[in-house]
Amino acid sequence: MTFRQFAFNNVLRNKRTYAAYFLSSVFSVMAFFVYAVFAFHPDMSGGTVHRNVQSAMHFAEALIYAFSFFFVLYSMSAFLKTRKKEFGLMVMLGMSDGQLRWMVFLENVLIGFFATVGGIGAGLVMAKLMLLSAENLLGLDETLPFYWPLEAIGLTFVAFLVLFVVISMFTVAILRGNKLIDLLKGSVMPKKEPKASVLQSLIAVALLGAGYAIALTAKGLVVFVVMVPVTLMVIAGTYFLFTQLSVYVIRKTRDNRTVFWRKTNMLFLSDLAYRMKDNARTFFMVAILSTVAFSAIGSLVGFKTMMANDLAGTHPFALEYRALPGREEEAEEDVAEIARTLEEAGYEYEHLRIAMSGQPLADSDASVYTVKATEFNAMAAAAGEQPVELKGDESIFIYYKAMLTNVSPEPKTVTLKGGEELHPKGMRTSTVLPIFNDYYVISDERFDRMTQEAAETFHAFDVDDWKKTKEIGKELEMRFSDSSNRFFSIAYELALVNQQFGITLFIGLFIGAVFFVASGSFLYFRLYADLPDDRAKFGSIKKLGLTDGELKGIVTKQLAILFFVPILVAFVHGVVALTAMQNMFGRSLMSTSLTVLGAFLGIQLVYFLFIRTRYVKEVNPV
Amino acid sequence: MMEMLRVTQLNKIYGGKVPSRALTDINLTIEEGEFVGIMGPSGSGKTTLLNLVAAIDTPTAGEVLLNGKNPHKLSKKELARFRRKELGFVFQDFNLLNTLTVEENIVLPLTLEGERVKTMEEKAATIASKLGIESILKKRTYEISGGQAQRTAIARAMIHSPKFLFADEPTGNLDSKSAKDVMEILTAINRSDRTAMMLVTHDAVAASYCHRVVFIKDGRLFNEIHCGESRQAFFQKIIDVLSLLGGNAHDLSTIRV
Repeated sequence: MTFRQFAFNNVLRNKRTYAAYFLSSVFSVMAFFVYAVFAFHPDMSGGTVHRNVQSAMHFAEALIYAFSFFFVLYSMSAFLKTRKKEFGLMVMLGMSDGQLRWMVFLENVLIGFFATVGGIGAGLVMAKLMLLSAENLLGLDETLPFYWPLEAIGLTFVAFLVLFVVISMFTVAILRGNKLIDLLKGSVMPKKEPKASVLQSLIAVALLGAGYAIALTAKGLVVFVVMVPVTLMVIAGTYFLFTQLSVYVIRKTRDNRTVFWRKTNMLFLSDLAYRMKDNARTFFMVAILSTVAFSAIGSLVGFKTMMANDLAGTHPFALEYRALPGREEEAEEDVAEIARTLEEAGYEYEHLRIAMSGQPLADSDASVYTVKATEFNAMAAAAGEQPVELKGDESIFIYYKAMLTNVSPEPKTVTLKGGEELHPKGMRTSTVLPIFNDYYVISDERFDRMTQEAAETFHAFDVDDWKKTKEIGKELEMRFSDSSNRFFSIAYELALVNQQFGITLFIGLFIGAVFFVASGSFLYFRLYADLPDDRAKFGSIKKLGLTDGELKGIVTKQLAILFFVPILVAFVHGVVALTAMQNMFGRSLMSTSLTVLGAFLGIQLVYFLFIRTRYVKEVNPV
Repeated sequence: MMEMLRVTQLNKIYGGKVPSRALTDINLTIEEGEFVGIMGPSGSGKTTLLNLVAAIDTPTAGEVLLNGKNPHKLSKKELARFRRKELGFVFQDFNLLNTLTVEENIVLPLTLEGERVKTMEEKAATIASKLGIESILKKRTYEISGGQAQRTAIARAMIHSPKFLFADEPTGNLDSKSAKDVMEILTAINRSDRTAMMLVTHDAVAASYCHRVVFIKDGRLFNEIHCGESRQAFFQKIIDVLSLLGGNAHDLSTIRV
């Protein structure tokens, strides 16, 4: 047996011990790789996705890499802790420090190599599945076909080999300081009770409270100004929350005997303080990353809904066609074609038409648009709006309401070139004409009487089943793409918005999912390292008369706290962040965002139940 | 006198590819207030017997009656309650929870039962003064000596005044002075509370505190001797039986009392 064989056999013949570490490594490789498959997707760089989105994706990739690094490092140190005794034995048998380090290094490189290969393999399957689900769930048809991701494979392979080599060096440093006696005693030595500073706990409360208060009270553009300082405050506050405040609160409950000495609370809370302290930094990281994912996803979903709503709100008709002045002939043909296509496809439709007229102003070169009342009323009725009632020379001012403003304009009285005056008797907003400008509705007689300057003609095709006109819309859009007249299909446009946001959203959801599952797995692997201790502990308490139900209860409570505390913190952070954004845009991002966040919590819950069942079984074998 | 423990025709066979017989036809009774030692060479089945009697392990055949109840017939939940009400355990390696203070360790069985804090505090104070550990109640387990740890464990085992106390090598990890203290405490509790006790040990000195010592060899009852007038003479008798057992009596010759 050569030394190298010894190191390799250590791993290969000891699968059970290495399994947790190996699997967590495979997991992080897989997450990174699947993500890389998206980031390097040829269609992503092909222009369908905005350049900013792409650089954001590569930034997120770096973030995942950093996360993987800590993930692997922590799993590795947890794993080495369980092997301290073994190392002690080897030192006793005369292994030199150098040899020990070399052994750990060789083992790690071996595990790292297989983890990388395994992770890429699992990732290929996973990527295919995710692309499929992206197509089906988000309605992204064929935008992201599966491809052979050579770039992603290359990047993942190199990145993780480097990572494992670097981490092996780290572990060598971890082992250096240990005395033989400590190694032999392994993890038997009881840990000191975790301490928390009152001052730092107060700082946590102050930072979080102030951060929240500022974020929630800021309105409009102030939100933008306070964003960075508030974010920093909340990040620092979260750090102290996990490292100090949580431990402090648990210690305080310890002093309250009615709580601490109640049934299984003693067992559950005394352990929790240690677990909190041990995992504080992980919690912090998970909470912050989840907050980022939450807010990003929340605002994306919010934006998407906002855009889709605005689009649908301003376009009440299935198909629209705007003919520019002087292009009426072309328009006649096109409109006939639209009508024919709709008929062929078997749609019932109503063709409505408004001929606008430009009226030059007396005091400037500009002109205002006027619209015939009967034409306007016909279309308003089709759009489900109130008709206007005009007598004689009366007019109504229709103003355009912009997306982000709430100001209503003053109805303007204007004098036209011919000396006539448009003096509106009222004003309102309407979605009938999508010209994004103000105009006047005047009575038919007056319209006919006035000299008309040729202006746009607007054709609308009202179809009851407008949602089904996507294909027709697409077809006609293609056919009219060269025309200078403008064609618009609401169903098709909505599909395009869906598509664009869908991709970004999918990426956001994916990163979010990676962070959640990663944090869950991470905690599980940490738990796995403590499993032998826990098993021994519960074994002896059972002899004192702990029922299986109580044991289950303790384990469940502990796991629930480990699983959900960081995520609940992220949830609260996220809600505050979204409220602030809501204040900035003056729109509600909440309901849709909460659906998404709720879905994440649901996934986490399923994962938690799964882990809990396994852990209870492991810690209390029948 | 009341019979606290009755073991009839107890057998234990460990399964697996090569089944091995750990205990064969064990019959044993322990009366109320009796202090019984179980001795025998390594691998003779002492700990197996203790585990079966305390319902930690299940027998292959035979019956155990603890205070008239068969613990193996109880449901898991009933068994847990039975343990926390009527049984006490002391282990070789103390099995204290090092996340708790000494006092918290002591009251643990009562908290599981949902006892009132006031009652728990009173009981803890009483038992602590009985065992001489009042001064370390607030300390953590890593701050106390082995002897103190074992006294804490005894306090935990006794706080709910169990009818039966099981001790598995309670002196195994202790120096001779601490071992003596622990045995004297157990004897004192046995006398004052009339708790029936079963002590599994290798240590002839510890065994000599018992009223009666039962010897096991290769899973069968080998012999049984009773304490007569003096502990000194009883110790000598124990050593004699051990040498007869082919045990390591000569190892013990240096620690004759």
